[in-house]
Amino acid sequence: MSNYFEHTPVEILAKTWESPDTVTFRVNWQPKHDPGQFIEISIPGVGESPISFCSWNPTYCEFNVRVVGNVTKAISKLEPGDTMHVRGPYGKGYPMDYFKNNHLLFIGGGCGVAPLKGIIEYVQHHRKHFKDVDLYFGYRSRDDILFKHLLEHWEKEFFLHVTIDKDAGDFHYSCPVGFVTQAVQEADIPPDNKIVFLCGPPVMMEKTMPLLLDKGFHEDQIWVSAERHMKCCTGKCGHCMINGKYVCKDGPVFRYDEIKGVTE
Amino acid sequence: MGKLLKKSAANDFFRSLQKKGSLYAPVSTDMVRFQHIKTPEALRSIDFDGHAFFPPKKYLLPNEEELFTIKQGKLQDTNQSLPPQFVVNVRLCDLNAIAILDKLYLDPDYPDPYYKAKRDATTFIGINCKREIDEYCFCGSMDLQRAYDLLLDDRGEHYYIDVRSDKGMALVKELPDAPEQQDPTLPKTSKVLDQKDLHQFFADKWWEGDNELCVSCQRCTALCPTCFCFDVKDDMDLNLQDGKRLRTIDSCHSADFTTVAGDHTFRSSRLQRYRHRVMHKLQYYKDTFERSMCTGCGRCIRYCHSKIDFVKTINEDFK
Repeated sequence: MSNYFEHTPVEILAKTWESPDTVTFRVNWQPKHDPGQFIEISIPGVGESPISFCSWNPTYCEFNVRVVGNVTKAISKLEPGDTMHVRGPYGKGYPMDYFKNNHLLFIGGGCGVAPLKGIIEYVQHHRKHFKDVDLYFGYRSRDDILFKHLLEHWEKEFFLHVTIDKDAGDFHYSCPVGFVTQAVQEADIPPDNKIVFLCGPPVMMEKTMPLLLDKGFHEDQIWVSAERHMKCCTGKCGHCMINGKYVCKDGPVFRYDEIKGVTE
Repeated sequence: MGKLLKKSAANDFFRSLQKKGSLYAPVSTDMVRFQHIKTPEALRSIDFDGHAFFPPKKYLLPNEEELFTIKQGKLQDTNQSLPPQFVVNVRLCDLNAIAILDKLYLDPDYPDPYYKAKRDATTFIGINCKREIDEYCFCGSMDLQRAYDLLLDDRGEHYYIDVRSDKGMALVKELPDAPEQQDPTLPKTSKVLDQKDLHQFFADKWWEGDNELCVSCQRCTALCPTCFCFDVKDDMDLNLQDGKRLRTIDSCHSADFTTVAGDHTFRSSRLQRYRHRVMHKLQYYKDTFERSMCTGCGRCIRYCHSKIDFVKTINEDFK
């Protein structure tokens, strides 16, 4: 019997510091996966950490890691050429076929943009299946903006709106100061034939949801990604359970009407 | 299919199991607890009447279990071949609990190899309760199934052995057949839990009364025969190169159970954690598997420091 705790060693091809505390690894690994799924990255001797795919590419995978604890700190010390231990993919990703021929609206906050980048790359690979794409991304400051090298490409190809909470940092990028929720509120976003992808800190998601509903979006047009610290990823350890749903198995991607009203 | 075992020959039967592998049985000391019965003389101490303090889940989900050995910073598989083990005189509530753990840990999508290795090596032999053990048992209302390989049922001078699997039959094939099949009567209890849809009471104030008493000591989760949550952590030697990756039991009552990176805790209040456990036992599992995860063994009420009785609260207050 295969052991789901077992890891695959993969080679790190590249490492990019996106912001002072966020780093992206590109690894030589080609698992079949959907945008929105996640894996466990393991550092023997330190532990495991669930990280979502932030790319969609047939030749490599990328993972965006924010340094917040012991494991992510240890991961951030890996360098190109080193071996990374991974297991997965786990969970249900976004059912991209189901979204065909729709306009797409992405709303992301902070490192919640990372999983959305996976969908964006999927859309770029299947561009003719999708209509207009709007991106609303909010960050704390200029330096915290993720995927800076992609902003130019995204601006050309999509409708990109970046906001920063406070006007600080060295990176030069002209964008309004304020929360991403304000930008969404002020924007004229017609809800017809549109799918919303929402990912970010809990407080941002809570604030954005009523705005979208006010604009006339139906609950089944909105997709959210939930965050939990999964230990097993297979519906056993119990850490990710909310109201009887396992984020690792039933999610991490949920259609809003599936988890609406779910409380702890 | 039934077999007969003379009460005076019960120890001979257990002796035959002892020869096949390790034998574990409840023994009454300061409390009734499952112990390794190593010698033929120790067979005499096996308890037939009490309710074990700790459930037998520890033979499948030990408190601490090694998943991998870490050598020079690399993970290495640990040996998983196990000799047969027999756990005898297990009560029906605990046997049903094993069936519930099987559903979760032998889930065809992601079967757990560590659990399966132990499960394959272990045979649980039950004993039927003649009457409820004490006033805390409420298994009579929890829809218990005949989920066992063998069950001993007291019939005066004999034990009638109810055989439910080939694995069980292999152990008792030499015993005489019972003249006719008489299914053991499942235990009845005076305490009953009213089956209610708890979703509608989720936001009720009634949780608060019990919760005020709860001190999050985690005794209920440690003693519950179906509580299965675990944590995975690496335990390293001082050289930080060698060590082991461990799976340890965890409790949803612990304050950091739902803590994620950045120190955000989703169930930060004790009320949320207390409610989550009761809801998981009685409702969430039922939503998926059409039966409650609780088997009515009564341990969480019997041994609660604060005498929290959720059965009473649900029966009387939830309306």
